Amino acid sequence: MSTIRSKGALIPFQASSGGLMLVIVAAMAFLACFALAGALTTTRIAATWTDGLAGAATVRIDATEDDRARRISLVLDILRDTEGIADARALSERDVADLLTPWFGGAPDLGELPAPGIVAVVLDPENEPDPSVVQARLDGASAGAIYDDHGRWRGRAAQAARAIGSLSWWALGLTAAAIAGAVFLVVSIAMVAHKGTIEALRLAGAEDRFVANLYQKRFFWLGALGGLIGSGLAFGALIGLDTLASVRAALPMLDAPYYWPFVWAGVVLACALVAVLAARLAVLTTLRRRG
Amino acid sequence: MIQFENVGFRYNRGPEVLQNVNLEIPAGSFQFITGESGAGKSSLLRLLYLDAMPGSGRISLFGRDVTTLTRDEIAWFRRRIGVVFQDFRLLDHLNAAENVALPLTVAGVRESAYRDNVTEMLQWVGLGDKMDVRPPELSGGEKQRVAIARAVVASPDIILADEPTGSVDPAMAERIMALFVEMNRLGKTVLFASHDLAMIEQYKLPINTLRGGTVVSGMGRAA
Repeated sequence: MSTIRSKGALIPFQASSGGLMLVIVAAMAFLACFALAGALTTTRIAATWTDGLAGAATVRIDATEDDRARRISLVLDILRDTEGIADARALSERDVADLLTPWFGGAPDLGELPAPGIVAVVLDPENEPDPSVVQARLDGASAGAIYDDHGRWRGRAAQAARAIGSLSWWALGLTAAAIAGAVFLVVSIAMVAHKGTIEALRLAGAEDRFVANLYQKRFFWLGALGGLIGSGLAFGALIGLDTLASVRAALPMLDAPYYWPFVWAGVVLACALVAVLAARLAVLTTLRRRG
Repeated sequence: MIQFENVGFRYNRGPEVLQNVNLEIPAGSFQFITGESGAGKSSLLRLLYLDAMPGSGRISLFGRDVTTLTRDEIAWFRRRIGVVFQDFRLLDHLNAAENVALPLTVAGVRESAYRDNVTEMLQWVGLGDKMDVRPPELSGGEKQRVAIARAVVASPDIILADEPTGSVDPAMAERIMALFVEMNRLGKTVLFASHDLAMIEQYKLPINTLRGGTVVSGMGRAA
């Protein structure tokens, strides 16, 4: 009985070109994982910053040491009597010193510093007051106080995080485009080498999609395997980073390893899909060009 | 079944290799196309296996104007046409059985369904013992018989042969011709291109002679 192999044997693919493709996809998948980690991390950082600052405000009271206690008391009375403010508390000298410590590199001596009085305000989340109304009430009492609901800082922080996040997503998209471009090029070159085989298939009645399927199958597995290797190495590196306490503190994304397997599987699948689509496009384009 | 009406054809912007070709080949017939090298025999066959489209005129195949066919329809029409070339055009990385099975594989037939058919075809051309052998290890005559088995395995309606005996010795040429005659007896339309007038005149079959890209005599003896 003769040996008739499956359709997979119809195109004589070279092992060397497959190996090269594998290396390219693995390298791209490695970079894609870091871009993805960057995108996820900045998204989470933006959420942490905006959530952390939301629902709170600060009142700064510029006054001489003799008059500070009276003005703080006046501000507290006004705030507690303002609709939409759940709580208001004056920070102690120690609290203020703690806030300033990072800027001075050590605990400052507040006796020698014209430090303002600070009141921490907790807002009613369902009925936040209009900042301009609160400021007007404080001005009306000549309290010499400045109300800050952190809106400007929150907006800038979120904008910066969104910009970095967008760059990461763009990097991810470019990586996918690079994989697609490499596959397109390799398939186009391979089709020149396989010209005789493809002509024989077409003369035998093969439709364009039949020829495309032969390449798609090959590049699906190359894409998936390359993705598996590249993302495996990248996630290994990320897990290594996660063991460093300093990195863990700075990168909240690394604090949520439960979804990594899904991200990993997604990267592998995405590499395979991009490779398949690029291979299909290359085959169909080349066949149509040949007529 | 096959009709050429004032067909003209040229490669890219070159001179016309076929001019005002008129030809009618009824279903089930066996006809020769002859002419000197460069007369346009291969170009005419190329138009018939839909590897190129006419520049002018009309070719009707199975009742359809070939210029109106979509890419998928061209593929489907090619499954109804078996082609044998002088240079065999076998795939060296496949064995003889896999080469013969090619038209069935691309048509989506399962291997279990065509295995016996492929074996039978190779036995018919006298190569039942060479099914696992790859083309580089076969002689010219054996390669041509594998190509013939491949051309007929999917039971096409038309068989086109472009100088199929050009690369084999006279004894093998006679053996190959016998296979084509037998296919015609089984009801296939055969169009056989050859420059070997002495050989084709032995068969007392209609001959279409091409000269300078046009048919100078048809359905009779060579001019």
